[in-house]
Amino acid sequence: MEYILKNGIVYDPANEINGEKKDVMFKDGIIVDDVSSDAKVLDVTDKIVMPAGIDPHAHVAGPKLVVGRLYRPEDSRRGVTQKTKVLRSESGFSIPSCPATGYRYSRLGYGTVVEAAMPPLEAKHTHELKISKGYGIKIVNPCGSEAWGWGMNVHGVNDKAPYFDVTSKEVIQALAKANEYLNLPHSIHIHPNDLGHPGNVPTTIETMDAVKDIKKSSKATIRDQVMHLCHLQFHSYTGNSWRDAASGAEEIAKYINKNDHITCDVGQVTLDETTTMTADAPMEYDLFKLSGLKWTNKDIECETAAGIIPCIYSGKSPVNSLQWAIGLELFLHIDDPWKVCLTTDHPNAGPYTRYPRIISWLMSNQRRTEMIENREVHKWVEKRTTLPTIDREYDFYDIAVISRSAPARIYGFEDRGQLTPGYRADIAVYDINPNDIDPSRQYAEIEKGFNVADYTIKDGQILVKDKEIVKVKESQNIWVNVKGYEKQEQKVIDDIMPFFTQYYSVKWENYPVHDHYLSNPIRVDVEK
Amino acid sequence: MVRIGGIIVHYANTYLEKPVVPDVKITGEGNTKVLKCMLNTGSDIYQGACKKRGSTLKQEYKNASGTCYMDPRDMAKLGVNNWDTVLVKTDFGEVVVNCAVSRDAPHEGTVFICKGPWANTVVSHDTYCCSDPTYKGIKCTVEKTDRKVLLMADLMRWVYKKYVDETDDDTVENMDSLGERPVYKGRKWEELIDHDL
Amino acid sequence: MTYEPPITDYDYIVENCTCAFCGCNCDDLDYLVKDNHVVAVRHACRLGASKIMEDMDQRLIVPMIRDENGELMEVDWDTALDKAAEYIANSVRPVFYGWSETSTECMKEGVALGEYIGAVLDNQATICHGPSLQAVQNAGYPIQTLGEVQNRADVIAYSGSNAMNSHPRHMARYAVFCRGYFRQRGRFDRTVITMDPKFSDTAKCSDKWIGFEQNGDYGFYNAIRAVLRGKELYQDVISGIPKEDIYELAEEMKAAEFGVLFFGLGLTHTLSKQRNIDIAIKMVQDLNRFSKWGLTPMRGHFNVNGFNIFMAFECGFAFGVDYCRGYPRYMMGETNTIDLLVRKEPDCFMVIAADPGAHFPNGANQHLANIPVIQIDIHWGPSTELADVVLPGSFIGVECAGTSYRMDGVPIYMKKAIDKPETCRDDEWIVRELKERVMKLREEPNTAPKYVPNPNAL
Repeated sequence: MEYILKNGIVYDPANEINGEKKDVMFKDGIIVDDVSSDAKVLDVTDKIVMPAGIDPHAHVAGPKLVVGRLYRPEDSRRGVTQKTKVLRSESGFSIPSCPATGYRYSRLGYGTVVEAAMPPLEAKHTHELKISKGYGIKIVNPCGSEAWGWGMNVHGVNDKAPYFDVTSKEVIQALAKANEYLNLPHSIHIHPNDLGHPGNVPTTIETMDAVKDIKKSSKATIRDQVMHLCHLQFHSYTGNSWRDAASGAEEIAKYINKNDHITCDVGQVTLDETTTMTADAPMEYDLFKLSGLKWTNKDIECETAAGIIPCIYSGKSPVNSLQWAIGLELFLHIDDPWKVCLTTDHPNAGPYTRYPRIISWLMSNQRRTEMIENREVHKWVEKRTTLPTIDREYDFYDIAVISRSAPARIYGFEDRGQLTPGYRADIAVYDINPNDIDPSRQYAEIEKGFNVADYTIKDGQILVKDKEIVKVKESQNIWVNVKGYEKQEQKVIDDIMPFFTQYYSVKWENYPVHDHYLSNPIRVDVEK
Repeated sequence: MVRIGGIIVHYANTYLEKPVVPDVKITGEGNTKVLKCMLNTGSDIYQGACKKRGSTLKQEYKNASGTCYMDPRDMAKLGVNNWDTVLVKTDFGEVVVNCAVSRDAPHEGTVFICKGPWANTVVSHDTYCCSDPTYKGIKCTVEKTDRKVLLMADLMRWVYKKYVDETDDDTVENMDSLGERPVYKGRKWEELIDHDL
Repeated sequence: MTYEPPITDYDYIVENCTCAFCGCNCDDLDYLVKDNHVVAVRHACRLGASKIMEDMDQRLIVPMIRDENGELMEVDWDTALDKAAEYIANSVRPVFYGWSETSTECMKEGVALGEYIGAVLDNQATICHGPSLQAVQNAGYPIQTLGEVQNRADVIAYSGSNAMNSHPRHMARYAVFCRGYFRQRGRFDRTVITMDPKFSDTAKCSDKWIGFEQNGDYGFYNAIRAVLRGKELYQDVISGIPKEDIYELAEEMKAAEFGVLFFGLGLTHTLSKQRNIDIAIKMVQDLNRFSKWGLTPMRGHFNVNGFNIFMAFECGFAFGVDYCRGYPRYMMGETNTIDLLVRKEPDCFMVIAADPGAHFPNGANQHLANIPVIQIDIHWGPSTELADVVLPGSFIGVECAGTSYRMDGVPIYMKKAIDKPETCRDDEWIVRELKERVMKLREEPNTAPKYVPNPNAL
């Protein structure tokens, strides 16, 4: 089937297309240069056309999510909607049900989501290294989760895990080297130590500095970085306690501006009631002690841990307001938008359905000033951050970078995130005329416009048309298969087998994710 | 050893006619006619093994599930011995079960019946708005009786009467037993599968 | 019990099969197979072995329908499925109960059918750990996988749970006797405490038995919490336990390096129900101020947790989900099977891989005598005596592969070892067939003409 998207205003940063009026064509799910006269015309005159969004760090499918839903029916009730002929019923706000998650991403014009946490033992659940069917290496609070096994935590990158003679810095360096040795398309993806602790800026900078001298694999041609830091907002606090905490965003941004081996996503606080969940379980227990709200924890043998807690981010709270401002500061202080991605670390800092609102904040200094002046956020924002002094505003091109092009580059995707012929036809159209809107003043329209895409096209199939979901498509899983190391792989398996047999509560045969669980898998082969 | 399709197959045996109970002999008639007790229900390993194997029509299930485990002192008060029959009554119904000395004694004043159709007739369906019926801690009375403990199928017929026209309890209780084997009617499938039920 | 010689007459062994009995989901069983029958099982406990070497006498082989005389007649699959679909399609308040002994793949079909027709979907949690889930929603859920217990735990507490009888390998494989990375001497490195009014078999092999009085659970845990928070106890005896013992126990729990509380139906079935679990969870949370503690509910069926996880994934609620209005509703005490049956609301009841005849109180089951009951199961059981249509399924983990979730939430792929009887069908197939037939008989009720977003989620 051939289609032509006519007269749209295209933003495709990968090809340096900045608001040109041009047609986008695709055939059989792939973007093409030319189509025949039979092509179906979709008139998108003066509407924004972008590659479909890519969310580089969200928690949408892991086992934690389910526990979150299981124990927060109040959140599920908040979003129930009745089924229609096309759609199943939905539920949930910060942790929407499985079908609702997909529908809402589609409405936002997103086509790809990276689930950021998957303990290999429970990976069958996530249904997404050959054995656990993952895409990259994620490191969470290195050594901290091991310490949590004993109810403790580590502080800083030079702390050792109890009973293990290894520091977090050594773990990070070893994994970064392994990552480059294997030529993985994505770099290591790290959640540094000391998340959410005032005064964690030095830890964050040391973490970034630890891999400065590690050379990027020559085969990973798409990405530039050797380390991706997630939800950096939570790692940019100065001070000694929440009493004297302040923003360290400027310092962090300065480091990132100076060094090219780092990329990050922000984890912007959206000031909503949400559910925090992270593999940084000790941090969640700290939060529980602060808020007293119901605490969930999930330790996974030999691998990881997770904590979940409901969280009410409020503009009235000084700490939450500080977090809100730090997120925006990071966006605005980091000069190169290719180094920063739009995330809320869904659902930790807020649900992903709030991306349009964040976009409106980034595009409108007026709105930010109003929020500060109208006391929609606490006065700590003026006192302890530089946000009120920044008047930078993102334009539509920058927005396209942080929400689709940069994530695609950072992950090394070779098939999506661009409107280049040969790429998958993942396209979003928004009902905003960029030549006829002043985002600074009309921030409400910006939010509304990005809230529901006019068209969402995934693999050439029209999922959203005229802001309504018209079709539901089965999801696909992307996983990386590293080739050329079969011998070494067998040796590693032989080495860990005695450990596995003795200390895991499942048998090796039952440990991998069987092919049975992968519907329409996309395998990315990496050669030696 | 089981016959399947005319072939004899040696299975590892998991059948057990009766649960193993302490061999305590009670002598004397007892001094209490109706004993007031607290009833608990739940599972034990005999009931679990029999139920999940699927042998629910058989004597084995009746003995595993339809047994009231008592403290020997309570049994002495009633003057009953292992595998005598007793009548258990609560606000929610009554049922005839065997009695036996509890492996977990002493627990004077508390009796235990494993979950199953027998216990169901006397437990409380009250959920107190919390989905779960009250299976434990129900006030009951226990007394000696001459009535028989019914097999599962007969018990279901007696309690629910879904497929009998009779409404009188005594009449249904004394009907011919439905037996320990499933009753398959029609037998269309016999030619198709060589399965000697 | 007499001596039985070991089975030597078998064709081959299938290794690493997963046990389809309790929530331990032991995945190290070896089946000895002869002539397509499992004739012996290695590594399994008494319960697992007994279930896997099922009773073929009572195996449901053929579909059956009740005739006008109230007798089950054998029929072909088409007739039986049509009859069942007709009952479902003609009902206004169907309840689909069970699911805990079938695969997650089958549940997927079930939720599709339930959402289509507007049914209530519920599982055995409603009569076992429903209050635990409610408590989790009240207070939180500090849980860990069983391997974590094996490798680290030095204090194990069983409360209201008789693991030796209902989860016989739990102590051996995961919690007490097994050796772990930090517990190289196994049983000798661990302290086992059983809290139960009954001197159960588990209590008999524990280091310490706390026999609090019947219905005294809440008061007992409350007292421990008070001590943990530095309060003084004024009563000399609380819930039948002398206060000195409570002080001692609290100190012992505080001193643990890694403690785990396993709780069972002893807490959920007594008078205070979910409040018992509430306070137990809060106690564990308090204990985390001093050391590391977690808890795990002792789930009974091998996939009862799977249904809760699956439903939470699909619709945000764990069990007792009512689709009659075209969107999921969940309200404890309202949309749960027992309450619905006691109120005599359902007009069609499908039971799949469960046995209400054996496990529901009389007061609830009475209503099943008034309405059509469809049974999908592998054995002729008490529910068959109430069923109007009987559809013979297959045995997950033996005759059919499928996913299940262990009590700690670890998913396990249960593989197939032998073929099912040729006239049986997979549960997944049966439910899908029912769905397709119902869809032909009745147009989807309760759909909205247009998607209307929920204002609370904007």
